Amino acid sequence: MASVNTIITNDTPIGFELPPIARRFDISMFAAGGMKTIHNDEDAARAEGLDGPVAVGPQVAALIFRMMGMCFGEGWIVGGRNAITFRRPVGVYDYCIARGVVLSKEPEGDDEVRVECNVWVETEAGEKAIVGICSGLVAV
Amino acid sequence: MANKNTAKVRLAEDSFGKRAEFDDIKVGAPLEPMEWVVTDKDIEKQCRIDEDYNECYVLGSAYGTRVAPPQIQYRPPRWMLTRTFNVRGVFYKWEFESFKAIKPGKKIMITGKIVDKWIKNDREYIKFEAIGHDETREKVFFTRRTHVLDMVERTAPREGSGIDSGHKPEKI
Repeated sequence: MASVNTIITNDTPIGFELPPIARRFDISMFAAGGMKTIHNDEDAARAEGLDGPVAVGPQVAALIFRMMGMCFGEGWIVGGRNAITFRRPVGVYDYCIARGVVLSKEPEGDDEVRVECNVWVETEAGEKAIVGICSGLVAV
Repeated sequence: MANKNTAKVRLAEDSFGKRAEFDDIKVGAPLEPMEWVVTDKDIEKQCRIDEDYNECYVLGSAYGTRVAPPQIQYRPPRWMLTRTFNVRGVFYKWEFESFKAIKPGKKIMITGKIVDKWIKNDREYIKFEAIGHDETREKVFFTRRTHVLDMVERTAPREGSGIDSGHKPEKI
């Protein structure tokens, strides 16, 4: 199979906005095979000092990774880098949107360019729950 | 979320025994290594969990086969942490780099260690790293993560038993 089409190329300008990826979560997405966890049980969450069940962090971050996969294709799968911070918990019924903006482009080796993007996940209330930088590779 | 929580104790134990304490976790301590083989079923489940059906994860890729979403590597290092230290806590920072595609049926050997720990805002943080190599000893992925041991401040007493443990079934 040939390489997949991607959105980001060497010609993509700094400041380009990545296509956002949105999802509304539901507590059923954190079922954990019937185990009571901080992600699906009020008492388990409160015992750990949380105000209630919280979404699984990597499942929320996956919105960013889906965006990166769509934008870079195989340049995300091999050569992709992720550095994110979980700033605040996301509720198990929250609506979240991953967004990103191209931040920089630097040559990497002879025939590739690393494209760095500011990325974040914001909630319906506009709070940034996850922030960070991800990058992928594109051909020169 | 529900009303503001006023819990003022850090849990002392859960169904897997005593919770690891900050002083138990030494910088440089190795995490229990593991061998990991991703299956087609694992990839399908990861796609379903993340609603991410990129054609590379479903139909095939330039690497000769379908490959796993890079974030599938989240779980094994977390299992390794929990095998070594009984930690619940919450995720704070996540770094990773993908060097090779994760293919179904290929064995990956993962090693890791605690690389740092500190106290900030009356909470305890640990940082650990893990690296996965394939059978040709080439790097497949690297990850570095920061974990908060408890949401409740460290000056709160340790008592009581938790419902949730960091221990989870070792499957995607």
